[in-house]
Amino acid sequence: MIAPHRLSVKFFFEELSIDVEDFIPVFHRWIRENVVPNELLLDVADYKHIVDGPAILLVGHEADYVVDLTDAKPGLMYVRKRDAGSDLSEALGTTLSQALNGVKLTESDVELKGKLKLRTDAATIVLLDRLNYANAANGDGADTAAAAALSQISDNLAPIFGDDTTVTRVANDPREPLTFELSAPSAPDVDTLLSQLGSAD
Amino acid sequence: MSNIGWKDVLADEMPDDLAHEIDIFEGQMELMGQAKLDEKVFAETRLRRGVYGQRYDNGQRHDGFESRELAFDEKDRVKGPDTLWHAPGMQRIKVPGGGLTPDQLDMLAQVADEYSDGILHVTTRQDFQLHFVHIEDTPDMMRRLAAVGITTREACGNSVRNVTCCHLAGVCQTEVFDATPYSEAYAQFLLGHDDVQDFGRKFKPAFSGCEAEACGLVMMHDMGYLAQIKEVDGKPKRGFKVFVGGGLGTVPHQAKVLSEFTPEEEILPQTQAVARVFARLGEKRNRNRARIKFLVAKLGIEEFRRLVDEERKTLPHDDRWTAYLDTLPHYEEKPTRPPTFLNGQVHSFEFNQWLETNVYDQRQEGYSVVTVNLPLGDLTSQQSWELADIARKYVGDNIRTTVEQNIVLRWVSDADLPALYEELRAIGLGDPGAGTIVDITACPGTDTCKLGIASSRGLAGELRTQLTAKSASLPDAIKDLKIKISGCFNSCGQHHVSDIGFFGNSRRSGNFKMPHFQVILGGKWRDNAGSYGLAVGAVPSKTVPEVVDTITSRYVEERTKGETFQEWIGRIGKKEARSIIQPFMNLPAFEQQPEFFSDWGDPRVFSLGDIGIGECAGEVVSLFSMEISPAESEAFEAQIALDEDDPARAESLAYSSMLKAARALVRTQFLDVGDSPDRIVEEFKSRFFDTELFFDQYAKGKFGQYLLDRHSNPNPDPDNDSARRLIEEALLFIEATHACESKVGGNVLVEI
Ligand code: HEM
Ligand code: SF4
Repeated sequence: MIAPHRLSVKFFFEELSIDVEDFIPVFHRWIRENVVPNELLLDVADYKHIVDGPAILLVGHEADYVVDLTDAKPGLMYVRKRDAGSDLSEALGTTLSQALNGVKLTESDVELKGKLKLRTDAATIVLLDRLNYANAANGDGADTAAAAALSQISDNLAPIFGDDTTVTRVANDPREPLTFELSAPSAPDVDTLLSQLGSAD
Repeated sequence: MSNIGWKDVLADEMPDDLAHEIDIFEGQMELMGQAKLDEKVFAETRLRRGVYGQRYDNGQRHDGFESRELAFDEKDRVKGPDTLWHAPGMQRIKVPGGGLTPDQLDMLAQVADEYSDGILHVTTRQDFQLHFVHIEDTPDMMRRLAAVGITTREACGNSVRNVTCCHLAGVCQTEVFDATPYSEAYAQFLLGHDDVQDFGRKFKPAFSGCEAEACGLVMMHDMGYLAQIKEVDGKPKRGFKVFVGGGLGTVPHQAKVLSEFTPEEEILPQTQAVARVFARLGEKRNRNRARIKFLVAKLGIEEFRRLVDEERKTLPHDDRWTAYLDTLPHYEEKPTRPPTFLNGQVHSFEFNQWLETNVYDQRQEGYSVVTVNLPLGDLTSQQSWELADIARKYVGDNIRTTVEQNIVLRWVSDADLPALYEELRAIGLGDPGAGTIVDITACPGTDTCKLGIASSRGLAGELRTQLTAKSASLPDAIKDLKIKISGCFNSCGQHHVSDIGFFGNSRRSGNFKMPHFQVILGGKWRDNAGSYGLAVGAVPSKTVPEVVDTITSRYVEERTKGETFQEWIGRIGKKEARSIIQPFMNLPAFEQQPEFFSDWGDPRVFSLGDIGIGECAGEVVSLFSMEISPAESEAFEAQIALDEDDPARAESLAYSSMLKAARALVRTQFLDVGDSPDRIVEEFKSRFFDTELFFDQYAKGKFGQYLLDRHSNPNPDPDNDSARRLIEEALLFIEATHACESKVGGNVLVEI
């Protein structure tokens, strides 16, 4: 299946004992220190004035890192915008491993360490591509791409996140992008996930 | 699946002209990619499609310690002078009069999350802006917008910008009549009009229904229209008081009256005459003096008026001047719900607070206008489609953006107000305080603007937070004051017309620079931006909240009964006003207060290193370069059509590209050639072919003959070979057009 125009993965905070604006200096430092070697980080956007939205963004060329408060579920969202891979499977792999790398960077950051934790047993995956992955209603005939994406994502993620992993489609309003919730009660920690992703390549 | 793009999917939904323009733009992008277009021509071309540069797009960024190169790929690829192709940019989306439908809002939300950062930003001229957009995504974005009737054409560049109109027009208690349909007709008439393609600078029109209110801001516009009714032959006649030559920017000008009363049927031709005078006599070289305000000031309004009147007499008649007038009697907005009244039930404190500041009683009984107070003019994609649903339920198509960076829902049936409030609150859009001191306007500033000096948005966010926290205890006298902030002297945040305005600048303390804001007091929002404020001095950015506190406290203490803020400032004068802020003007050393040396929301040590060359002025390129470029793009498209085995389309595109090139050449001498192929060819022939101006030293008339032949002998059924031949001929013809223009371009005669 074709790689979507954009693809995002959001992991949720288990604890977050700081203000979102504390991410601003951290993200500026990440840019300065070039902490993601294979991505070009550009700037920080501050949207904390918006209720329940993407509060602070680290904007990059390939991807954005977002401290996202949407739906009152604070998390770190990684939005891959380009060069993710040639098909859905590869794009998912790239996005997931870079998202997990972002989680790791955040948790181990000198200023943030001990002040937050992200969970690996749940995530939201969004295919931002209404052309190739329309968010058509379940079973209405136009949902072939959505259904195929669902099974592809499930197939790819189960071996990594554990046998009890489930992926479900949420929100089928065609205006919204195609969205999946991942639930993985026995998901391993970030390092294990990363190494499994590496070996899955 | 992979080969089908938005272009195919939306083919039947886009208006043909918009679809074609976007194809042409895509072709121009392609040519730019192959370095076949001049970078300045391309820059102006993309600006006229709303595709703007953004901070750091020269590939440099100061990280607080030093200026660093941003390692974009293909660094030699540019989209304008010193503007890297891959650097993210801003897309401005034109919304005439701010009018939107729920479907349009839905689409804006969708393009924002696929191509931008999921945030829609409302500007001070009722437009939308998306940031961090890659240029390669822009054609598809434009197609999706076109499919819901939105164009980005002439959103930037040296052209007629968005035509703004009071967001209350049609429902306002005090208006003379509804200016909306006139502003719509005006916007449509001027969009892409031949006479507005050769300006030295941008041109901003505004419409308003009443003189005393602020909404249309006509006094600060290049051209402003104020609805008037005059008795003519015993009958009421509609028209407008017309203003010209207003504008903010570094040197703000109040507009002058061009005509006390221009009858409705004369509005469009008069504007066309103004456009021609501006194109012909306006400054083109010195961009700092190129707005029409400088021309009006230079000539004096009487002479300017005389020239416009003369010009008007020479205009060839155009049916469109008055055609729209027939539709006016049928122009109406339809509410979705019947009129009702708020019953006497007891409502929550929050609702009442919101009701007081965010709800306007319409002229039409039983209906209200609700202002959705957007913090800093921002809303997310998700909020946008949720808001679209709320609009569908309560008001249908009656949504407008405002120049105070908010959105209004018109025709809310009064009994629906409590439920609507709850629904807005549930999506985070139920903030009270619209139009009050907490509802602060700010330009993009250092967040994304290449010219930004200080962080207007950072400051606005901070002030909003601080003032909201104490809003319950704010004295009534200051609750409705307006605060407007620009990141530099260009005044995109309209600081000149607020009670308390700020624009960013910088001062040195020791070896460091410190972000500052110049304080401007006593500007007038009412009376259509009736007068400009007084600059009283610059204070460090970090002191601004305290400065606001100090100024407003003094006002509360000293005001006489009923004295407005402007009156108070006028009474105490500049010297005294300056003395109020004087204590904040002492600059600490870096070691004493390092936090003063970084801006709001940006911990980097402040520098001016990121300021680039702004694109507000567009690129001044000749009319010919702008018009020949789409011809080249069409010839290119013709080649693609041939590769796709579509000789009929290829042949017709090749022919059309020759016509475009010939038209561009003819227009260097004769602006009014029009669009008819016969006329273009006839003028080309008599002016350039028969005179041998078009002739090549060796090939003689051969290249020109290609067009004449194809025009007189169309090929009803072209095959691949004949299409290929015509494309080759078109390319040679376009080359010859260039050569001819540079040969005779030196002494162009413009005939009107
Ligand atoms: C020398 C350059 C510029 C000048 C003199 C200038 C001036 C202005 C003025 C006076 C206004 C507002 C008032 C009005 O006329 O209605 C305005 C609007 C605006 N400007 Fe600028 N500007 C410049 C460059 C920029 C740049 C580089 C940006 C950054 C993106 C920018 C962003 C805006 C925005 C967002 C608006 C509201 C606009 C709309 O929707 O049309 N301006 N500009
Ligand atoms: S006022 Fe200055 S900083 Fe603000 S948008 Fe205009 S040019 Fe940019």
